[in-house]
Amino acid sequence: MNGIGYKVKKGILYALLILLGVTCLLPFLLMMVNATRSGAEIVTSFTLIPSTHIKENWDTITGYFNLFKGMWNSVKVAVPATLLSIYFSALTAYGLAMYKFKGNKAIFMTILIFMMIPGQLGLIGFYNLCAKLHLINSYIPLIIPAIASPGTVFFLKQYVESVLPPSLIEAARIDGAGELYSFHRIVIPIMSPGLATMGIMGFIGNWNNYLLPMIILNKNDKFTLPVMMASLNASTDITANQGAIYLAVAISVIPILLVFAFFSKYIISSISAGAVKE
Amino acid sequence: MNWKKAVSVLLVSAMALSMTACGDSETGDTTGSNSDGNSVAEGTEASGSDAASVDTSDADLVVWTLTDDLKQFAAKYEEETGKHVEVVVTEPENYPTKVQTAIQAGETEPDVFVGEPQMLQDFYDIGAFADLDALGAQDYADQIVDYVWEVGQDADGIQRAISYQITPAGIYYRRDIAQEVFGTEDPEEIGKLFADYDTILQTAQTLKDAGYRIFASDAEINYFSGDSAWVIDGVLNVDQGRLDYMDLCVDLYQQDLTAYASQWATPWYQAMAGEVPILSADTQGGTDDMNIWQGDSQEGIDAFNEQAAAYSEGTTEVFAFGLPSWGVLTLRDHVGETSGKWGVCAGPSYGFGGGTFIGISANSEKQDEAWEFVKFCTLNEDTANWWIEASEGDTVSLIPVLEAHKDDANEVYGGQHLYSFWLEQAEGIDYSKVTRYDKQIGDYWGEAISAIKTGEASKEDAINEFYDKVESTFPDITVNR
Repeated sequence: MNGIGYKVKKGILYALLILLGVTCLLPFLLMMVNATRSGAEIVTSFTLIPSTHIKENWDTITGYFNLFKGMWNSVKVAVPATLLSIYFSALTAYGLAMYKFKGNKAIFMTILIFMMIPGQLGLIGFYNLCAKLHLINSYIPLIIPAIASPGTVFFLKQYVESVLPPSLIEAARIDGAGELYSFHRIVIPIMSPGLATMGIMGFIGNWNNYLLPMIILNKNDKFTLPVMMASLNASTDITANQGAIYLAVAISVIPILLVFAFFSKYIISSISAGAVKE
Repeated sequence: MNWKKAVSVLLVSAMALSMTACGDSETGDTTGSNSDGNSVAEGTEASGSDAASVDTSDADLVVWTLTDDLKQFAAKYEEETGKHVEVVVTEPENYPTKVQTAIQAGETEPDVFVGEPQMLQDFYDIGAFADLDALGAQDYADQIVDYVWEVGQDADGIQRAISYQITPAGIYYRRDIAQEVFGTEDPEEIGKLFADYDTILQTAQTLKDAGYRIFASDAEINYFSGDSAWVIDGVLNVDQGRLDYMDLCVDLYQQDLTAYASQWATPWYQAMAGEVPILSADTQGGTDDMNIWQGDSQEGIDAFNEQAAAYSEGTTEVFAFGLPSWGVLTLRDHVGETSGKWGVCAGPSYGFGGGTFIGISANSEKQDEAWEFVKFCTLNEDTANWWIEASEGDTVSLIPVLEAHKDDANEVYGGQHLYSFWLEQAEGIDYSKVTRYDKQIGDYWGEAISAIKTGEASKEDAINEFYDKVESTFPDITVNR
């Protein structure tokens, strides 16, 4: 009796979870199907059966811009920005968590406050600053500011406090390791699951960042992928490019998947590592 | 381990999709951008390939735009003059922000940029456009259709921008249905059926009795509703015409006279090609609301059958669409087998929608060069003739060219002479009735109408809410309730 009840419960649970899974994946499938359909087909009917227009959609995309150039531009922005962001955030978080000094709390509070200011507010001022510094059409304003990312610092500070026993650092000091040496050789490996998480978030954020590159970059050959893809919307009868847009989005998601596949190894392996220890 | 990874990759892809999708959902924004799918694919392939190969840093001119029409113009200009023009296309939603930030920061690029009527006032206010009169624009004043010329002038009457196209609105109707129901397909005669709001309602009823629907959506006469200005001397003006328009929309909806599609939505496009299922106000969401969960009781089955019957009442065909002249291209791409059976006639009043206006940046260091380009795009008869070909039927703004093409027959529209028709419509437009607030106030009015027709709010409440919205959005407008 008990067994049957358990099975029923489990069945319901599975059914619910499968339903949720399908709900999550359906838009993804729809995107891939729509990538093969023409704009006119997309606006006039709804189906999950792929059509035959993928070649035309691809031609439309290449007629507008060079997708791979855009991808490369996005890589040039997103990779350095992500790496800088996680490295310097880890450094800051470690410093705030492990060293006792005057103003430690005040600095942390300041960072917290900055976390709450929406970035778009300063957009025009930021543009004017870049214009004065002659940084329009350059990737520097998109990469360098990533060094200061309050949200990442906040997350990593909590994280490093929970995973790093201070005695480990003390031991390293006794053995004669310098502060930076112990940061690089001991702290970073221990923090790597946190860094991977923040890295994925940061990469997705940078990869999909649209507003700032759209304002800062004025040259077709400098545009990042989202800015290029938006230009498909910029034109014609609104229905004409729908298929091409879906195709472009489908392709642009690939790098994000690759990054996730790469970083997820660290996340999963260390989640289980933590489980055994505690 | 492996399947775990696979699942997580899929999950992240779903997440990533939702993130990217935000930026790419169809904007449904019916800008005046009006070149067409086919010619774009062809046109940009040509211009796209050389744009990729040319180093853009040595461009003679930099053009910013929100439609890709200008790409074709630029390619043509390069071909004729050998000058290199770099065209940067930004999507319409963020285009005004981008232009305003750049111009206000004193950037010397772009040299040339475009605007649509609703953006132009803001551009004039920040002094973004150079004075075209100083470059000699007034010499051409009588060659361009009047209203277009006036849209390009700032408050002081100085010419700031010129458009290569006109966008007067007309009613697109099915000739075969007209013949069957009204015994004529002559645009003059059909125009009389749309002469005013009362007549439209009658026409709608006649069509319904004959098994057709007059419009796909109830927003088709929106372009013709601007017979008075929304704001006069800083005071909000809601005249009888607006209220009549409201009543008409509500009646069309509540008396079951349209096909209940939303403009620019899937069924709306479907209606262009012929038969569509009859939706009623209750089932317009498709079968979503149908009672399929009580299948075990007789009562439930009856209810289901009743609803299914209502839903599958049959199909109908839609008689007319109200769109500006660029609708010629929209319809052509979607009419399918009804091609050749369409006609265009005048609506209850004159109106227009959209249009791309080209001007020169006040900061440009190459104003003379830029003026050559603007003249090439807007004031050159050869270009206009070429554009009519290249765009496959866009309506240009140069009067001599429109007159030269007045006998061109358009086969999609039963061989009608569209250019003379559009010129006539454009000449009737009174631009003094257009204000900078039109877009936003018009949208609010539309929201009020929707609320009333679906019974969400009483007429009084909806209009009061409309007043509240206008007051809070534009504090400088006086609202007399």
